[in-house]
Amino acid sequence: MSKLLEVREGSCHLLMGNEAIARGALEAGINVAAAYPGTPSSEILENLAQVAKVRNLYVEWSTNEKVAMEVAAAASFAGLRSLCVMKQNGVNVASDFMLHLAGSGTRGGMVLVTCDDPGALSSVNEGESRHFARMIEVPLLEPGDFQEAKDMTRWAFELSEELRTLIMLRSVTRMSHASGNISMGKLQDQLRRAEFRYDGFILDPNEGPVLSAPVAYKHGLQQGKIEKARELFEQSPFNTYEGPEKPELLIITSSACTLYSREAIHLLNLGGRVGLLKLGTTWPLPPNLLKKYLTLTGTILIVEEVLPFLEENVKIIAAETAKEIGIKTFYGKNDGTIPMTGELSPDLVVSALSRILEIPYAAIDPAYEKKAQAAAFFKAPQRGLAFCPGCPHRASYWNIRNALTLDDRQGFVCGDIGCYTLDIFPGGANTLKTLHAMGSGTGVASGFGQLSPFGLDKPVMAVCGDSTFFHAAMPALVNAIHHRANITVVILDNSGTAMTGFQSHPGLCINAMGQEAPKVDIAKICAAMGAKVAVCDPFDLPETQKTLNRLMEDEVGVKVLILNQKCGLSPEKKAVKKYDVHVDENLCIGEDCGCNRLCTRIFRCPALLWDKEKEKARVDDVLCAGCGVCTGICPQAAIVKEVA
Amino acid sequence: MAHQIMGQKELKEQVQDAGLCTGCGACINLCPYQVFYHDRTIVLNPCDIKAGRCYAFCPRTPVDLQALHAHFFQESDLTPEIGPVKAFFIVRAADAEQRKQAQHGGTVSALMSLALQEGMIDTAIVAENQERFLHAGVAVQQPMEIWERGKSKFIVSPTVAEFNRAARSDAERIGVVATPCQAFALAKMRLKPELSSGDNPIDKLKLVIGLFCGFTLSWAKLLDLLHKKTGLDAITGMDVPPGKDVLEIYTEEGVLVFPMEDVQACIREACRYCIDTTAEYADLSVGSARLSGNWEESRSWNQVIVRTDVGMALMALARNSGTLEFHDVPTGNLEMLKKAAWEKKRTALKNLVEKSGSADDLIYLDARDRLLADLKY
Ligand SMILES: Cc1cc2nc3c(=O)[nH]c(=O)nc-3n(C[C@H](O)[C@H](O)[C@H](O)COP(=O)(O)OP(=O)(O)OC[C@H]3O[C@@H](n4cnc5c(N)ncnc54)[C@H](O)[C@@H]3O)c2cc1C
Ligand code: SF4
Ligand code: SF4
Repeated sequence: MSKLLEVREGSCHLLMGNEAIARGALEAGINVAAAYPGTPSSEILENLAQVAKVRNLYVEWSTNEKVAMEVAAAASFAGLRSLCVMKQNGVNVASDFMLHLAGSGTRGGMVLVTCDDPGALSSVNEGESRHFARMIEVPLLEPGDFQEAKDMTRWAFELSEELRTLIMLRSVTRMSHASGNISMGKLQDQLRRAEFRYDGFILDPNEGPVLSAPVAYKHGLQQGKIEKARELFEQSPFNTYEGPEKPELLIITSSACTLYSREAIHLLNLGGRVGLLKLGTTWPLPPNLLKKYLTLTGTILIVEEVLPFLEENVKIIAAETAKEIGIKTFYGKNDGTIPMTGELSPDLVVSALSRILEIPYAAIDPAYEKKAQAAAFFKAPQRGLAFCPGCPHRASYWNIRNALTLDDRQGFVCGDIGCYTLDIFPGGANTLKTLHAMGSGTGVASGFGQLSPFGLDKPVMAVCGDSTFFHAAMPALVNAIHHRANITVVILDNSGTAMTGFQSHPGLCINAMGQEAPKVDIAKICAAMGAKVAVCDPFDLPETQKTLNRLMEDEVGVKVLILNQKCGLSPEKKAVKKYDVHVDENLCIGEDCGCNRLCTRIFRCPALLWDKEKEKARVDDVLCAGCGVCTGICPQAAIVKEVA
Repeated sequence: MAHQIMGQKELKEQVQDAGLCTGCGACINLCPYQVFYHDRTIVLNPCDIKAGRCYAFCPRTPVDLQALHAHFFQESDLTPEIGPVKAFFIVRAADAEQRKQAQHGGTVSALMSLALQEGMIDTAIVAENQERFLHAGVAVQQPMEIWERGKSKFIVSPTVAEFNRAARSDAERIGVVATPCQAFALAKMRLKPELSSGDNPIDKLKLVIGLFCGFTLSWAKLLDLLHKKTGLDAITGMDVPPGKDVLEIYTEEGVLVFPMEDVQACIREACRYCIDTTAEYADLSVGSARLSGNWEESRSWNQVIVRTDVGMALMALARNSGTLEFHDVPTGNLEMLKKAAWEKKRTALKNLVEKSGSADDLIYLDARDRLLADLKY
């Protein structure tokens, strides 16, 4: 049974940050949860989906983040409690609706959980969602540890109902994906009935229609809610101070940086000299609370990741209260003490503190560090980012690159976000020449497809994943078709939102809760839109390449090629080998003229190894996924497959 | 002088990117890196082998012509304009029905079929018209299959690529119908250059029937020329009838005629640097006949230059078996041919000098070569 269903109040469990958030939502008695998968946020909805039946929840993977927020908002309008979850850049997608939702207000408690990815560990951007809270004027909470992740989530629903607005709760990779001990609260049974009232007076927040108009009036109301939040936050137990009464230096921080700061203070043994003000309610900031702690000392260090959000907001309060608190020296992003990009770590906080307080400190013995680096360089095997063994994308890009090369007009590919982004790395085929947001490959290609009158004579291709197709590529494709862009769009359909852990999407016959669902057919959609559609198995190398070349040579309108092949890690394929593959050493000619290691030098599936002693290729049995694609590329037919 | 064998990178720089690639196919089917697409040779993936067969066999990498001549021909047979000549004939296939499937007199198809029937070869490589007037070499074993693939294709056929494939299959004795550049590539293989690795089963090559060749056309440019006047799949043949200065394109709906002036622009760049009209490195070479100004009569005859003992033997077989009909050789015929071939050589050398910017640099040819020194360019 899922730990999330634990009924004993006060019992302690080791939970991942994302599990803690999910538990918090269950303790708040949510009814509806909707999300679009994106690392590091995905486990929240996955965990809720697992208990959906027992807890009587409705849980869905929506087609994109904006739809997820709309689905959750409907539940709130009907008086239910709802959660929507996304990663940082998902908030950009949802932000248009979010802006209007802030205006219209909510009814049942509604919380947006966003999981940011400082350092872009699994993103192609380092987007900051916190600014949306300020820009769109909704309250922002940031848990500083795992217990708080749960408790704050639960509280966020109450707060939402008190203020009648969406509450944003922001986590980061190290909060979402690390684990900590959590003391469980009461699992709330939800007894609410959905009822949407709309015939009351137009301005009635409970009985009237849910609108963001009249705009000035609603905007004023919204600002009133923020004022009320500011007052409430003055008393919030999630804003805490630890340290001496008169510290030499005050750290102001939030989120995972609380942990880094605490550890840095401990490592430098500065408990008696440095104070730590940890803020859980980071927008709007409670001014009186800040005034109180800013008064304690003249030197302030603000520790946060990516942009100086906290820093700027604190400085505004310091400027407004300068007469009372005096002039302060601030350290943080703006003076370069804390880096503006990337993740922070205890080491980075240690080095900031030791510089400001002039404490000599070497995190690691330099001699040891040198030795460790040398060992890592010479002894650790080199592992670049590459497609997995058995990955359909390797075959797809092999075909795309070969087709582009044969076509010989310097064609290029516009791409977006998914495992197929890996094409840009040395292990890929290097065909992707633009890389932006979900669905942008198709949109950008649509634009390139209009440039031939201006002299662009290179063939234009786009790639997009199956989940991405539904998420954001469809409007771009419609645009390209309607405007007769001359492009080829390749849909890399691996039957799942593979990169984030195989979540379902509308192209599959199953939903988030494991129920059967109507499959929305990508090929039929594209054909109905008016594209010329072809479907291939990317593992059939000659046929796929031929089809691609044929489509590229057809210079009229939008051509769509759907490449169907399940992800090698899909539940159906994982650990199931279709073929046993090995190299016949008598046939392999290795580095001789006639091959020159095509398999290990160019094709480069990680399961193909070059045996330097024997001067022959070899298949690593453990790594090989048994797809058999490499048997089709060896010029000597030396790679042999047998049905496993 | 021996020329250094280099790799794919140099081949690409010196030949493909320099507009010298003939599309002969000599570098194709040896490895996965050089491939043929439409009428072009493409580097599909990079290869870093220092001395590759692609470079060694390509007819447009530097070569020692004198060494080639010494290796293949008797000094006494050599002419500066059309290479070695052992004998010269005007002939055609005896069977009038079969001639209908041929470009001119059907001599090429008849001789190849005969070689198959007599067991001189077990596999013949001929050019096949595939979709959209794109061609490929195919290996066949039956005379009928040769006749089905008659007629001249003015877009290159990567015929040597098919030789490369067939020579590594069960075929034992192979005959090839080759344009001059293709015959040249096969001759370079026969010299057995010293390779760092890779096989060279050239001993399977038993017969080369050369085609006279003035030029080939670029497929893309031909498309432009046709400009939707006909579908590519409707083309049944082409010819350049002598004296008319036009290209005739035969289609199911009739003949399209294009003035040579327009066709010139469609000629494959590499052909501008070709010094060989008569396929000098073949066992025997076949072209269209020139019979006293009457094209309708001439077009059903061929002229044949026999260059080697193998060629002589095949012609003897053809005469004895009645496979070919023989026509008197009109006086001055050979001289006319020499003059035309001389003209092509001089133009090519002029073009090479223009390209390199120096009279001493003939790019893939050696300016000091005695055979070239005779030609004033
Ligand atoms: C590109 C080209 C240019 C030519 N230019 C001239 C010229 O300027 N003067 C001249 O006298 N003759 C020229 N010829 C030769 C001429 O067109 C006839 O091929 C020749 O007279 C033999 O006629 P045939 O009836 O015996 O041929 P067929 O019996 O019809 O046999 C022709 C054979 O050539 C093969 N073949 C056709 N095209 C190609 C190709 N592109 N590459 C390799 N093999 C091919 C066919 O498969 C067939 O086996 C040219 C031929 C070609 C292909
Ligand atoms: S592609 Fe084939 S011949 Fe070449 S190294 Fe790999 S197994 Fe050996
Ligand atoms: S001329 Fe022939 S051998 Fe040389 S690069 Fe072109 S196709 Fe290859």
